Amino acid sequence: MTRRRLPEWFVLLLPAIIVIAAVVLIPLLFSLYSSFTPYKLTRPSTLWKWVGTYNYEKILSDAKFWAAFGRTVLFLTIVLNLELLFGLGIALMMNKVTWGQRTLRTILMFPMMFSPILVGFQFKFIFNDNIGLVNNVLQSMGFNVALPWLVDAKLAMFSIMFAEIWMSTSVFAILILAGLFAMPRDPLEAAKVDGCTPWQSFRHITLPFLMPFIYIAMTIRSLDVARAYDIVQIMTGGGPARRTELLWTLMSRTGYVDARMGLANAMGYVSILLSILFTIYFFRKLSAARAELGMAG
Amino acid sequence: MDRNQSHRNRRRVLKTLHFTALFLTMMIICIPGLWIVLNSFRPTVEIMAKPPVWVPSFTLDHYRAMFAGAGEGGVPVFSYFRNSLIVSVTSTLIAILIGMSGGYAFARYRFKGKNGYFVGLMLFRAVPGVALSLPLFIVFAKVGIIDTHFGLILAYVAMNVPFTIWLTDGFFRQIPKELHEAAEIDGCTRWQAFWQVEFPVARSGVASAAIFAFLTSWNEFALASQLTRSVGSKTMPVGLLDFTAEFTINWGGMCALAVLMIVPALILTFIVQKHLIAGLTFGGVKG
Amino acid sequence: MQKSNFFKGLMACTAMVAVSESALASEWGSFDGVTIEAKLIGGQQYEGLYGRIADWEAATGAKVDIISKKSHFEIDKEIKSDMAAGTTDWCVGSNHSSFAPQYEGLYTDLNDLVPADVVAEFVQGNIGASTVGGELLMLPRAQFDVSVLYYLKSNYEDADKTAAFKAEYGYDLAVPETWEQVKDQSIFFADPPNFYGTQYAGKDEAIVGRFYEMVVAEGGNYLDETKKPIFNSDAGQRALQWFVDLYEAKAVPAGTTSYVWDDLGQGFASGTVALNLDWPGWAGFFNDPESSKAAGNVGVAVQPMGSVTRTGWSGHHGFSVTNDCANKEAAVSLVNFLTSEDSQLAESAGGSLPTRSAVWEANVAAAKAGDDAFRAEALAAFAEGAKYAFAVPPIPEWGESTNIVFPELQAAIVGDKTVKEALDDAAEAVDELMRESGYY
Repeated sequence: MTRRRLPEWFVLLLPAIIVIAAVVLIPLLFSLYSSFTPYKLTRPSTLWKWVGTYNYEKILSDAKFWAAFGRTVLFLTIVLNLELLFGLGIALMMNKVTWGQRTLRTILMFPMMFSPILVGFQFKFIFNDNIGLVNNVLQSMGFNVALPWLVDAKLAMFSIMFAEIWMSTSVFAILILAGLFAMPRDPLEAAKVDGCTPWQSFRHITLPFLMPFIYIAMTIRSLDVARAYDIVQIMTGGGPARRTELLWTLMSRTGYVDARMGLANAMGYVSILLSILFTIYFFRKLSAARAELGMAG
Repeated sequence: MDRNQSHRNRRRVLKTLHFTALFLTMMIICIPGLWIVLNSFRPTVEIMAKPPVWVPSFTLDHYRAMFAGAGEGGVPVFSYFRNSLIVSVTSTLIAILIGMSGGYAFARYRFKGKNGYFVGLMLFRAVPGVALSLPLFIVFAKVGIIDTHFGLILAYVAMNVPFTIWLTDGFFRQIPKELHEAAEIDGCTRWQAFWQVEFPVARSGVASAAIFAFLTSWNEFALASQLTRSVGSKTMPVGLLDFTAEFTINWGGMCALAVLMIVPALILTFIVQKHLIAGLTFGGVKG
Repeated sequence: MQKSNFFKGLMACTAMVAVSESALASEWGSFDGVTIEAKLIGGQQYEGLYGRIADWEAATGAKVDIISKKSHFEIDKEIKSDMAAGTTDWCVGSNHSSFAPQYEGLYTDLNDLVPADVVAEFVQGNIGASTVGGELLMLPRAQFDVSVLYYLKSNYEDADKTAAFKAEYGYDLAVPETWEQVKDQSIFFADPPNFYGTQYAGKDEAIVGRFYEMVVAEGGNYLDETKKPIFNSDAGQRALQWFVDLYEAKAVPAGTTSYVWDDLGQGFASGTVALNLDWPGWAGFFNDPESSKAAGNVGVAVQPMGSVTRTGWSGHHGFSVTNDCANKEAAVSLVNFLTSEDSQLAESAGGSLPTRSAVWEANVAAAKAGDDAFRAEALAAFAEGAKYAFAVPPIPEWGESTNIVFPELQAAIVGDKTVKEALDDAAEAVDELMRESGYY
């Protein structure tokens, strides 16, 4: 008589699965298909022409694509590491502050209120070589220079990295600060009694405890690294001379301006793969760190 | 005595260093943001001045222009604000409900392929918005939910659910099973037990997930620019582009709108930031 | 195919009936209860005109529903997305001469729907640039863009400078007539980082357009008749060399390769750039003390010559009617209204350039009679400059080709490649694009 019922856990997960399937999975399947066609936005009929792996062959043999790919990996590596380092430093400093911490924490979260596109506009103006804030300050201090922040190969990469780091370091700082708050006092006291130097107790007690928090932050960040697209698109658009071209700027120009969506979606899949690799890497680190902490505690 | 003296000196030096470093960091964090606020109150000719004008003058022109009619530099601020608010709040609420139910499933049930489901859900969050925006647009267009609040809310719910699941999962896991078992013995249904026993304990975790979800939706641009079109659904980040024309950017006006965008987020964050720290402390790690 | 022809014929008949009826009803026809969905370009410069839509609604009884209002590039993206999704049953869209060829099959041929004598009232160059493959895809509004030379007058009123220039270059310092002179004077005036001789757009379509007009000024061209790229000719190399020389001499801001129009306009308004080739939309801005430090010191002259001719890369905005529009007569009536003589007079009063011959004449006459000497000077320069205007090749691949070419131009300017290498690489890639697109 009783009909077979779905297991409870599945019913609970079902809304999440449905929403994600509708919004992410179906479009992804569509774009996967279109990456095997010469799909041009302005010629919808091209969607029905199968060209096999032509698009993939084209991008994989394209030096410009690989340059953008390499630059994206480099960008992510540098940016994530620096954000971690600065976040750790800021969290340690904040943890030592005895008064006004609530206000300081709110200030710390200030950049999180900024839409990436706004951050892009903001730093585009700040780094403008003629009327930008940075050059104005330098010139007022007596340096008679106008540094081409958004043009020179190294300075331009620096500028977009600075903007990205400015926007996202807070996430690291907040998470690591949360870790510091959760940290038990006893081991540190004990280490002090045993005559450990501050560096030793940081290295062997504080840092291991913070590792899971660091990996959480890394994972959260690796989930939406592509937010940097908005910033870079506004600040340099990948230029000049492709000096700041990242996968995302290349992809959006190919897809929308050139209207070659098939080709752009093939690039999209490579960038999705990249994001997934970063995420899986940090997830594994996180699981390992969690397990270690579980043993220690 | 001498040793004490040098010790004290060192402490003083360290303290000064700490203070200076902290101060500089805060400056770097604040200045670019405050620059926007400042520029929203300065006349355009002064923002663009060269040599720079360091003593700012004060004007409300950009705000006045923004609220003026179309054609006089006005933008429909109220509509954008209302759209942003509706979309962000609704999508956050729904994402929290769906995410909690998912997190609860992961924390309380054993089933086959659990890790696979979990990582799978996370990975969907990793798809870059710019890669998703066009296929999503085409699917939404076929269904006919382009340029509606509903479409945007749906997209943001999907964006925010994975993270919420992750955070709430961690929370529910550290609540001892005995708690709800006891409640059920007392005659509660599982549903009642959840709301009366487990939810209150997990509250700060939910709050931190909510603030992340809200900020993500409030600031999102790549999808919103594709899925919204008219004044009836455009959100504030998309509205920023109203200040750009083919040849010009009205920087002062853009700053004024940006300020209106930042202030609500700032107030909200200030209110819930205590929960934020507490939520992140337990949620992510102990799971 | 047959069906659409039949449909077209039917529409044409209905349109004719509508036209004869509307002559009786009112100038703009009567469309009670009709709602026209429109996608319009947003931004301060363009929105003044939309205030007039209410008048059209009152005259015809129809309603206009603006379902999208976005900036230039955003609306382009949106329309392409619409074509992909097949959601093209809205009626009126903002269009631009450089974008129009890309929207293949989206917009209807207005030659069938607009009387020939109305079309004849527009500047024929603009009508030509609105026509792709024999189809008139849009009616131009009073937003015609061609560039002329803005300059700081004070530089030519300083006796010391005049003498020093004469001593160094051997000819009199005057508002430049040729691009060579612009180069000399720019290098002469420049005092980086406080003052620059000139500046140019440095990325995207913008720099390719600027390069294109220099190529033409030097006697070359961008594509030949078969659409094969020929911009790596000697003329092309001379053209690009001009950009490179200025950059190397630091006569332009070092950031110029990241500039597009807003940066350039703001730069000149900051009073720190001597010579600036720029668009008509800026004229009022540059001479307004509220927005510009150069106000009162701005001169406007016709664009200088290359070694062969003067040229002006140009474009204009307009309105189009979609093929899928349910009520084309109403849509065409709205487009006619927005591009009518009255509308153009109103819109060009804001400082933009008209695309109707009668409005040009009226504006020039009014400026001469009025007491605004600057406006008269600017309008005269633009009227002269418009004579040399040319539009970009009316092929869908124009936009894509600029995306190939601009990074190469930048590479030459910042010194990563030589002029010849950069142009050859760019030409090779554009050649591949044209071959893939099936031109040869």
